[in-house]
Parts: sequence; C-alpha cells; structure tokens
Amino acid sequence: MSDSEDSTFDSDAGEDKQGSDGEASTKNDGSDHNEDSDKEGSEKAADSDDEQENSRGKNVDDEAEESDGEEKDGDEEEPDGEDLIDDEDEYDEEEDEEEQTRVRKKKRKGALGFIIDEADVDDEDDDDDGEWEDGAEEIIDRKSTYDASEREIESHQRLRHIWESQREDEIEQYYRQKFGNVTTAERYGEGEEMSDEITQQGRLPGVKDPNLWVVKCRMGEEKTTVIHILRKMITYQFTEEPLQIKSVVAKEGLKGYIYIEAFKQTHVKQAIEGIGNLRMGYYKQQMVPIREMTDVLKVVKETASLKPKAWVRLKRGIFKDDLAQVDIVYPSQNEVELKLIPRIDYTRARGIMRNSANQDSKKRKRRPPQKLFDVDAIRAIGGEVTSDGDFLMFEGNRYNRKGFLFKVFAMSAIIAEGIKPTLAELEKFEDQPEGMQVELVPEKQESEVAHTMAPGDVVVVAEGELQHLQGKVIKVDGNKITILPKHEDLKASDPLEFPYNELRKYFKMGDHVKVIAGRYEGDTGLIVRVEDNVIVLFSDLTMHELKVLPKDIQLCADMATGVDSLGQYQFGDLVMLDPQTVGVIVRLEKENFQVLSMHNKVVNVKPQSITRKKDTRNAVSLDSENNNVQVRDIVNVIEGPHSGRTGEIKHLYRNFGFLNSRLMTENGGFFVCRTRHLTLAGGGKQNLTQAVNGFAPMSPRISSPAHPSGGGGGERGRGRGGGGVGAGAGRGGLSKRDREIIGQTVRIIHGPFKGYIGIVKDATETTARIELHSSCKTISVDRTRLSSLTGSKPAGGQTSTYAGRTPSYGGQTPIYGSRTPMYGSQTPLHDGSRTPHYGGATPSHESGGRTPSGGGMSAWDPSNANTPSRNNDFEYNYDDSPSPAEFGATPNPATPGYHADSPGPTGPYTPQTPGISTKIKFYLSFTTFCLLPAQSPGFVGTPSPATQSSPSPASFAGSPSPMGYNPMTPGAPFTPQTPGGGMETSLTDWYTTDIVVKIKPTHENSKLIYQTGVIKSISGTMCTLYLIDEEKTINITCEHLEPVPPNKGEKAKIIAGDERESTGSLMSVDGDEGVLKIDSKEEKAKILMLPIHFLCKMAD
Amino acid sequence: MFYHVSLEHDILLHPRYFGPNLLNTVKQKLFTEVEGTCTGKYGFVIAVTTIDNIGAGLIQPSRGFVVYPVKYKAIVFRPFKGEVLDAVVTQVNKVGLFTEIGPLSCFISRHSIPADMEFDPSSNPPCYKTKDEDVVIQEEDEIRLKIVGTRVDAKDIFAIGTLMDDFLGL
Repeated sequence: MSDSEDSTFDSDAGEDKQGSDGEASTKNDGSDHNEDSDKEGSEKAADSDDEQENSRGKNVDDEAEESDGEEKDGDEEEPDGEDLIDDEDEYDEEEDEEEQTRVRKKKRKGALGFIIDEADVDDEDDDDDGEWEDGAEEIIDRKSTYDASEREIESHQRLRHIWESQREDEIEQYYRQKFGNVTTAERYGEGEEMSDEITQQGRLPGVKDPNLWVVKCRMGEEKTTVIHILRKMITYQFTEEPLQIKSVVAKEGLKGYIYIEAFKQTHVKQAIEGIGNLRMGYYKQQMVPIREMTDVLKVVKETASLKPKAWVRLKRGIFKDDLAQVDIVYPSQNEVELKLIPRIDYTRARGIMRNSANQDSKKRKRRPPQKLFDVDAIRAIGGEVTSDGDFLMFEGNRYNRKGFLFKVFAMSAIIAEGIKPTLAELEKFEDQPEGMQVELVPEKQESEVAHTMAPGDVVVVAEGELQHLQGKVIKVDGNKITILPKHEDLKASDPLEFPYNELRKYFKMGDHVKVIAGRYEGDTGLIVRVEDNVIVLFSDLTMHELKVLPKDIQLCADMATGVDSLGQYQFGDLVMLDPQTVGVIVRLEKENFQVLSMHNKVVNVKPQSITRKKDTRNAVSLDSENNNVQVRDIVNVIEGPHSGRTGEIKHLYRNFGFLNSRLMTENGGFFVCRTRHLTLAGGGKQNLTQAVNGFAPMSPRISSPAHPSGGGGGERGRGRGGGGVGAGAGRGGLSKRDREIIGQTVRIIHGPFKGYIGIVKDATETTARIELHSSCKTISVDRTRLSSLTGSKPAGGQTSTYAGRTPSYGGQTPIYGSRTPMYGSQTPLHDGSRTPHYGGATPSHESGGRTPSGGGMSAWDPSNANTPSRNNDFEYNYDDSPSPAEFGATPNPATPGYHADSPGPTGPYTPQTPGISTKIKFYLSFTTFCLLPAQSPGFVGTPSPATQSSPSPASFAGSPSPMGYNPMTPGAPFTPQTPGGGMETSLTDWYTTDIVVKIKPTHENSKLIYQTGVIKSISGTMCTLYLIDEEKTINITCEHLEPVPPNKGEKAKIIAGDERESTGSLMSVDGDEGVLKIDSKEEKAKILMLPIHFLCKMAD
Repeated sequence: MFYHVSLEHDILLHPRYFGPNLLNTVKQKLFTEVEGTCTGKYGFVIAVTTIDNIGAGLIQPSRGFVVYPVKYKAIVFRPFKGEVLDAVVTQVNKVGLFTEIGPLSCFISRHSIPADMEFDPSSNPPCYKTKDEDVVIQEEDEIRLKIVGTRVDAKDIFAIGTLMDDFLGL
C-alpha cells in the first residue's frame, strides 16, 4: 500500500508534482479533487483564495500530524485514508472558486488517477455544457462514465455519511474497499468507456473550435508557468476582463513550450502578459494547424510498448528503482498491474501488537529490504492476512502464493524503457522462467529494429480499430510499416502506416515459407497448420514438422538450400563422430547437426566435435546374397528394423550402409542398416557374383576408401582381393601373368605419374616396373594404377591371381571352368581360356550398367567406354530397349553377368587346358543364346549376350565397347571353350537330390568349406545337406554348393539339359565330355554324351 | 488439372545419329526427354500427343552436336491449390499420410486429417482410423483430397493436401 500512499502524498504536497504526472494540465488536478469534496460537503470548508499556498501549508501540517502514524505505519492503510480525506478537504477549498471556471473543466479528462473517482462524476456536467471541444479529447483517457454516475453519487453520499460519523475505522474500511485493488476500469465500468471513445471520433477539432497556440516558455518552468496562468485566470475571472483562454497545457517531454487554447491570438497575449516565464513568447505565438492539433496532445503510445511480462522499474516510493514485471496493462486507465517483490517491514508490529512498538519514532522510515511475502512472518508480528482467491491479502495488497506482490501502478510511476534487468534481479523472479525466456530475447533487440517484416509480407492488424485488416507490406521504415490494405472498402491505392507492433504476420495453410530466425533458421517448408501463436511447417528438406513463431517466418518461393550445408558439412555427409563411430548428417540446424550414427541413434553434435568427412565413394561391401554393393546402389532391406524398405546407398562404412529413402520421413530419409541385411535391387541371386565372391572383398581392407583404386577400383580391387586369397591358398603361379604384361605399353592412370606412358619392364603381382617413355626413368608403379594402352587393362594382376587360385579347385575338370563368352568377352584378349571368368566378373561392375555409378574414373578408362553412363545426355539409345540406366526399369541395371542366373557350376577356376576338342564342346554347350555373340564378334551392339534376356546398358548400340575387342574370333583356338559358359545359364537350377556336392569357399563357416555332402532335400534355395565326413546334416543355401563331377564308372545324375534328373553311370570321360549310360528298365540302355558339367556324382 | 498445351523443346543430338533415321531419332528422343518430366510452369508432362514441327537443326560450333527446336503438344498435369484429386496412399506414419497422385506426391499432415481419425501405429499396416473403425486409411488406399499448397521447384512439384472438408477421405 505504501506506494499509493506515497503517490497520495505527492499529490498533496504540491500541484507541480501532480502536474508532472503524465500529460495532465494543472487544472485537472485541481478539478479532480474539487468536485469530490464538493459533493461530500466539506466540514472543513476552509475557503482561502490563495488556496495553493494554503493547501500546501496545510498539507505539510497534515503530514506533520500524521507523521507519527505514518512513520510507524508507513505501509498501513489508515493514515492513507486520512490523508485522502484531508486532501479532499483541502481541495475543497480550491474548488469553491474554481468550480465555476469554465476553463478548467476542459482538462479534467487527463486526470490520471489520484483520487479521481469522485471528480469524474462531474464530467457529465462538463460534457453537457458544450464546452467540450478539444481535439485532444479523444486521445486522453476520458473518465466520463455516464453509467457509473448514479452509483458514484450514491457512494458519495455514503462517504459523506461516514465522514460525518467520523469513525476512523469505517473510513478506513471504505477506502480500503475503494482503492484496495480495484482498477479504474472496474470502478467505472469499461463498456461505457469504450463506447464513449468511439463517439469521440466525431469530436475532432474543426474551424469553429478554439485554436492551440504554442508559446515559448522558459525551459524547465513549463509546469509552474501553467499554474501561474491558472492563478491568473482565477484572479481575473470576476474582473472586467477575465482571461478568455480555454486551457493551458504543458506537454510532458516538451521542453520550452506550453500550449494555450484560445479563440484568438489576442486572448493568448492577454493571458501571457506579465508572466515572466513567457516573456520570450510574448511577441510570437504560433498557431497549431487544426489538423495537427490532435497530434499535439496525442499520447504517444508508450503504453503500447508495455506488454505483459515486460520489465519495468518504479520511479518512486519505497519501490523506487525496483524491478517489476508487468502483469496486466490497463491502457485506458494508464495503469499497469505489476508483479514485484514486496518490501514489507517485518520488524514493525501490526494490529494488536502495534501499540507496544508504536513508540519508537524515527523520522522517515528506512526502506525495508526486498523480500518475498512471508505469511508466517507477518502473522508473527501480528499482521492479518486474508485470502482472496489465489491471492493473499495483506494491508490491502495482493500477494501470490510465491510471495510476489501484485499491485496496480500508474503508468507515470514506472519507467518502461531501456530496462536492463541485472542477472541478480532476474534470479529473484526466476520462478517463472518461461515468461522470462520469452521476454528476454526481444528485450535485446529492442534497441534496433525489433521486427522482421519485409516488403511483400502479408500482415494482419493485430490491435486497434483496424484489427483483423489484412494487407501487404509495401514499405518498412524502421519500426513503421506501410501496408497496402486488402479490403474492398479501402482503396488499394491507399497505404496505411502502422507501428510494427500493431501488425502481425499472416500466414495460411499451404503457404511456402522460409524460417528466418530461431533454431530452424534457413529451413523452408509448407505450412500445414496455423495456430494462434505457432505455425507448423512441413520442412522441404527433412520432411519433419517444425513449430515456429509467425514472426520468424517469411513467405518464400524457393526451396531451402541454406540449411543443407554448414561450413564444410552438408546434409547427408558421412562424418566421424569418434574414431570408431561414423554417422550421417541428417539435419542441419543453425549451430549444430543432427547426426544419425551407425548405431542408429540420432545425436546432436556441434560442427567442432566432428572430426572429418569420410569419403566412401569407393567403398564396396557385400549384401546378404553376396552381391557387391556400392554407394549409389539401390537396395532392398530384408532384415532388421527397416525390413521392407528400399533405398539408395549413400554411404558405406565397414558393414554398415547408410541408406536414403524418399519414403522415410524421419531423419531426412536416412537410415542405417547392416549391409548383410540388404539385397541389391534387381540383382537376384548371383552365381556369378558368388563365383567372384571367393575373391570379393570380404575384408573392409578392400572396400576401404584408402584403397588406391579409383573408378575402376571395383574390378581391380576384387582382382587384388582374389590375389590375396590366391596367395593364401598357397599357390604362386604368378610368373606367367607377370611375364605376360612385361613389354606392354601402359599408361599410368593414377598418382603423381598419372598420364605417363611407359613400357612394363618387370612386374610382380602388385607392382610393375615401368620405363617411362618421356623421361629416362624406370619407376615402380602399383599395378592397379596401370592401364594398358592396348585397350584393356593390364589384367595381369588379376589374372595371375586366378591362376594362383585355380589349383584350389584342382580336382575339377575343366568343364566347370568353362568360360562363358558372356563374361569372357573381354578377357580372352589376355588369355583365352583362363581369364574369361574373371573377365566376366568384371563387366558386371565395370562395363556393366553399374559402372557409371562406380565413380568418375571409369569414364576415362578406355576399357570402360562401353558403359553408357547414367547421365549421359547425348547417349541416346532410342533404338534399344530402354536401358535401365535411362528409364530406371531396374534400379541397378543388371549386367549381363548378373543375368547369367546360373546358380551352380561356377567353379570355373580351373584353367582349361587348351587343346580340348573345342568343336564338339562348343556345340554341345551351345544350348542357349549365349554363344551367339561369342561367335560373332562382328555382332554389333551385343557385346554381351545378355542383350536378349535383359535390358542392359551394355547392349548399348554402337557404343565403343571394350567388348569390341572381343577376341573371340571363331577361329581363335580357345574360343570354343568359352561357350561352356553358356552352360551356366542353362544350369540355373541344377540342384537336385541325391547328388554329391561340395561346399564352396563362399560359405561363411570355414570349417564347412570344401566338404562334400549329399543333398537330401531342397526347399527353395535351402538344401538339406548330409555331410559325408562329419556324418551330420546341415542346412545350407544352394548358392554355396557346387556339383562334384562323377568319375568314370560312378553313378551320375544329369543336372542340366533336357535329360535332367536322369541317372546313369559314367562309362567314360573324353575330354570334358562324359559318356553316360542312362539307367533304364528298358533293355536297351540309352547312351548319351554330355558335357561333364551336366553331370553330377550321385551318392552311393 | 490437365491441359493440352503447345510446348517447345530443344533436342541435342549426337552426330552419330545423323542418318536416314535422324528425324525419327529426334522424335524418339523428344519422347524420352520430355515425357515424365516436370516444369514448374506447366507441371508434369504426361504424354506428347503430336509433334508439330521440328525446326532446322543447328550444328553446335566445335562440338558437332545438333540442336533441333521441336514444337509439340503435350498433355500436362498441373496441380493447383484448392483442387480436389484422388490419390493413392503410399505411406502412413505419425506425421501424416504420403500419397501419390500420378506423378505428384502429396503430403497430408496429421493436422489436416479430421481430428476424429487417429494414427494407429500398432495395426498392420499402420493406419489412420476413427474410433469406431468406420473409416480406416492405410497404405494403398485410394482417397480423395484437396490440395492446400504446392511447392514448385524447377524439376518437381510437391503438394500438401487436406482431408478436412466434405466428401474428402476414403
């Protein structure tokens, strides 16, 4: 209560202090109080003409009288009440005369809130008397309350009654009730007020109204001068020549000028004549144009900047300089309800205990410290605490449960601008951190432009008369914003200007917007929901929903690109989180990333904590079916949490694949899988790959990006891997290959000597000594970095490894090693019979459709020229069946190799012995299409036999193809062998029961490799295998099996061809032809000649 | 909305195709290059109906490629805000429904699905359904939706839709 008390005193103490309250002119104050006391009928009715002095003196007296109580009970109500009454009395005196002065009636509107209530009652009269013409009227809060008047009058009567009865406590109670906690709005009835305001629209000053004159005044003396004129007015009013001015105004904040309202300039002159402070204004008074008159008295809407939760400081009273938080703003009353930390003197006893403590009479009380309201402490000192709803009432003030004081203050009593709460102060308020968060941030911006509106924004007026009016921002000038209203009744050519805080950005569902501030800055998206204060976006980039504030977004046509990179990192990059963990950036925010780690966790990291990007372009891994998968392959997930999804491999790391699927909404479509849980789309079960598998990069070493091989790395990597295995198998067999490359002219395709051409002088499995053509030097170069100038790679490295490898399959007859032209079309160049298989593998990645995805290198590799790269725009193969690359029929264009869907007999490791009678074999194995291309090298555009079976990029017409080198001229001695490969296609489903098979080294379990067993049953691709050695039965996928060819005299089963499933005994072996006597119940046994790989040994 | 519009396109042809089939090649190439593409202005080009004119080819200096300006008519599909379309649900998750309207993908936010329909992640496949399971929207379902916004990129159009209107939904 102390504050109100203080303010009361202020007002008592002198007119000038009152005048300082807001815009009010002096007369207001007087009149406000006057009228009350009028009604009350003053007993004290002292009537002194020089009321000013008198009242002042009186006030002092009063104060003195009261001082006792006051000092002791500064916070109490009682003295207050008395004070008030005293005030009124004093004002009574003034009033008597003043009441008649028309002038003053005018201004009383501005009265801000002292003891106003009663004064206002009289407004009606004023209004009625027609004097009311000031344009300022509309702006200054009018307290006229027609409605309330009756009630008021009644209350005045009651007051008088009380007063007469002179009962202190009753009076106290009366005032307590009256001023305790009621806002002016409550007191007056808000509705009436509103309507009144509207009617004031018609009250703008016109030509018939008095004019406003600006008069120069001595600086700092504005208010005293006004009072001076007031007195002069009073003095003259009953003389012959009363002052004819209407009002005098000192505008708060306007230094050196006052305004005088009058009809004529002479009236003004008359009024200011002889007033010292106005001497300099005597000769020149400037008239305010009618249009600007309203602006003169316009209350600059500081109040608008006062929003709930804003921080303010108190100007005076015991709370002087204290921080307070705005709780509710009553703009029409110029009042705010503040939340602040009370200063209650707990040392002073109250209530019944009061008397004992009464005696100590220090002069002015010292300021009690800030402390949250403490009920117990109050009770301890005898205070009485009542409760009012959620609040506790003590001495007329409301405290919430947390101990904060809630109290209504006049706007003039607070400082709202430039408040910078200290941290310590904020901590005391921290009970409500949410509120603070909200307000603290804008606080910072306050100094600059505090909004984010830009021309083109659609806005809606948030407050004021034009509320809900939509418009488009056409100009932004600091905090003033000019909009073009969108309303039929307002001409579109008629721009309106608003302060920024009256406008709110307007968005509707479906708008495409960009986030321009906050956490999601830079993101764009479509609005899917508009709530009061929140907008839900559907981000373009991450397919997430984002919640943002309307002020943080802006209409925008383009899509976010900003957020997809931060520093050197981009959306979708593979980064190292720590030496063991990698992750993919799935979201970039303003200052941090969200990274999907390989353990399928999304973590938030700062860019600094990421070590580096990992380049996985060349990584290769194996899928569940042992296909090689690479970055950019499309794969299906067959196991794990993402089972069923399809995605493109974005990164590979060890055995983790980072996949992206547009259909995923989480994590920007990224998810992580083990590569073993993937299958290559369009791949199917690859026997070919299995064959290769032996050499395939089982170890990450090969797939590691550190491996020097570039685009062609797939092939070469594999080759080298094979080499490793071969070596592991304990066989060298290198020399021949190496020798083969010696003497060749090669080009170095990698490294510092890239582009150099030289002759191979010597070669080992991995390196070659190259004598350079250009400089007389011989250098050692990694074999993988060589490219043969004869058009294909110096496949020596690879081939040699096969050679080394072959022996491990030693037992096999050449039949299985039949080279398929489909694979071999390339390789025969080097060594007709041996390499084809591996060569065959090569196209599957290199020359096959997948190559283009492999990497940039291959495009430059002459041996790869046949591959139509995916994005080659001029390679237009309209005359072919749609190539997968172009049309996406198969995500991974199946290469011929893949299509040779021959599961089984891919034991083609055994080098074929030259000298086999090729002709027969040729025709025998000529069972399928496969041979055709092989036979006819001239067959344009079919470097791969697979042309007929599948759309293949390799079948690209006319593209220069290494296949073009197809050495398989029919006359070539070894050629005929290759057709054997055709078999593989025909051998697709060779699995059958009762045959003896061997487990290939592709099987994971090394103990099982090379074991032989008998297939007991088959279901799908799973075989039940009885292991002969271990005498146990296992389940195994067919792909790991290969048939064991029968020996002479043994029982055999035909596993391919027309006679499949027939059984017989092998009578003899002739080359790789077997003569089989078919078992038959008929007498005449049928004898067939079959390629030996059509046969499989049967279990006994 | 579908339109039949006249469009132009430049075909860049490799010299290897110069020959008796040249114009045929140009036509073929036009089909493949144009059909199925999307432009912000016209939307998705569904099919080329007629080729009106193949202009004179201009050899590119120093490259040997030839540019043929081709005028053709095509049926295009351009989605508009407010348009009501039938769509096939492709994905259902907690943020909403992903649907396809031919070549156009359209997202229906959970906020744009009537409040009485709730996401049921436990059902298989996941679906949105009303309490009484009167209406169940799951993958592969055909629903009718209204487009409330489109995002038009250079190469693609993306739409968001709503089911909050009469006669929308299943």
